[in-house]
Amino acid sequence: MIRRLLFMIPVFLGVAILTFLIGNAAGNPINLIRLGLRNPNPAVLDALRRYYHLDVPVYERFVFWLWDLMHGNLGVSISGRPVASQIWSWAWTTMELQIISLFLAIGIGIPIGIYSAKNQYSKADYVITSVAVFGFSMPTFWLGIILIIIFSYDLGWLPSSGAAGISFAWWGNPVLDQIAHLILPVAVLTYVGLATIVRLVRANMLDVLRQDYILAARASGLSDRRVTYRYALRNAISPIVTIIGLGFGASLAGAPATETTFSWPGLGYAFTQAASNLDIPLVQGITIVITIMVLIANLVTDIVYATLDPRVRID
Amino acid sequence: MNAMSNRRGANQWAVAWRRFRRNKSGIIGGVIVLFFITIAIVGPYLAPYPPRSYAPLYQGDAGQPPSLKHPFGVEESGIDVFSEVIDGTRNDLYVGLAASLLTTLIGIAIGAFAGYFEGIVSEVLLGLTQIFFVFPALLLILLFARVFSILVFKGLGLTLIVLILSFFGWSGISFIVRGETLRVKQMEFVQAARSLGAGSMRILFRHIVPNILSPVIVIATLGIAGFILTEVAVSFLGFGDANTPTWGLLLNEGFPYIRTEWWVSLFPGLAVVLCVLGFNLMGDGLSDALNPRLRE
Repeated sequence: MIRRLLFMIPVFLGVAILTFLIGNAAGNPINLIRLGLRNPNPAVLDALRRYYHLDVPVYERFVFWLWDLMHGNLGVSISGRPVASQIWSWAWTTMELQIISLFLAIGIGIPIGIYSAKNQYSKADYVITSVAVFGFSMPTFWLGIILIIIFSYDLGWLPSSGAAGISFAWWGNPVLDQIAHLILPVAVLTYVGLATIVRLVRANMLDVLRQDYILAARASGLSDRRVTYRYALRNAISPIVTIIGLGFGASLAGAPATETTFSWPGLGYAFTQAASNLDIPLVQGITIVITIMVLIANLVTDIVYATLDPRVRID
Repeated sequence: MNAMSNRRGANQWAVAWRRFRRNKSGIIGGVIVLFFITIAIVGPYLAPYPPRSYAPLYQGDAGQPPSLKHPFGVEESGIDVFSEVIDGTRNDLYVGLAASLLTTLIGIAIGAFAGYFEGIVSEVLLGLTQIFFVFPALLLILLFARVFSILVFKGLGLTLIVLILSFFGWSGISFIVRGETLRVKQMEFVQAARSLGAGSMRILFRHIVPNILSPVIVIATLGIAGFILTEVAVSFLGFGDANTPTWGLLLNEGFPYIRTEWWVSLFPGLAVVLCVLGFNLMGDGLSDALNPRLRE
């Protein structure tokens, strides 16, 4: 456990160094910001000059910057607003989308994967594996574009962008409006997550169902249900937890391309725009916050893994 | 000695080929991949318009839907989508193949050293691999692509993307190579080589690495698919090379017009799905053919 926690330090430092170096690639962050912005606000630039301590050598600047990071001071973005408070609102919108999609993908993916494994080489199995390999091979955002074309523009059933309507509410009610905006992005992310989970569950279950102890359980007259869920799934689930946990950690970065497709006001969309505007303080802040969230997600995954599989110890 | 080892090598791959040949989806994947490689090679002779050509604009065809003259339609700016999808094949395959090759080489070097040697060097290499594995890679790729493309590496085009993808993409393969090296270095033939006086480098790269290539080939094939998908996302978001036609760039240019000009978004996307599907099916097929665990 200690070793696991200590490992977070070099990862955090590595990301901090990389984002600091890239921010200073043009000598200092202000130079880079000026390249991206034609008419920067002089008051904001002054504030950033002080924040980045441009009067001291670069290694001292790094220490000051890191010190500020540790104390939750992420500076101001080029729009003049503090970075930290902006990040929180985006993080919640991203989490909303990702957590709903993840739960749907797990809830649908595990039973389908089990069914597919138990009926290996049946027609249903071929259909399921084909649909899954397509989801695995598809740019997520492209599926989003196609669904927008069909359901928003052609049929006019669902909104094409944003997290909630501003001028008019879909289905005449603010709650239903939120749901209407969630349907397409959730559908896209669920399908792609589902594809990975189904492939994994199927492969692991096939492996486990061949084991002798499954045969032994069957021979002792246990019901098929019990053998599948209590004996086989219990043993097949641990690697799946790892992949889901790692995937969730990665998804906290908020699938930049999918969020951009749906103009979903989350971390990924914000990061894409900040990087393209060379809004260095914002880019650095988002990268650091996401790294911390990924590390926490990975730690939780390890703990869950160790709880599910008594052979595993966290060292 | 030489002749004998050659014959054994041929047999090992012949067995794998026999298994692969019987795998229907693997063969389908292989055929799709060959199809795209052919398009990439003969592309310039096949495309009606040169890359990034606005010629249809002057013929009054800008924004036209698919027709016999323009099978995939025309962009709002006047670029023929069919020509660009064909030219994009060459560039996207370049990114996928080059990035996968580069990450495989880096992964083998770092993974093999981390697995073979003991002590501080391997600890550091393993730590480095773990750190790169946890990085929020896509964000850092976007950031590096943006900053480097305006600062230093201006004329590098897609090669810049290849270098950035590889820098952040080698850790998975390095883990596999390290694990396999740890397993294989215990085997008798390695001890035999050592007792005959072979040096570390010779043992590592002449005896161990050739014996762990099977999983590496599978991961590298699936890696091509993954890198193409990442490149498509990077270009779609506008962080790629705007002067080289890629599928992602087409999707980027078509996005503002999806309400009216669906063809600019549909056809490049279909090309991505088919191509990535090909590499994934082929990778799965290779995995079944080469995986010693499933061998009868």
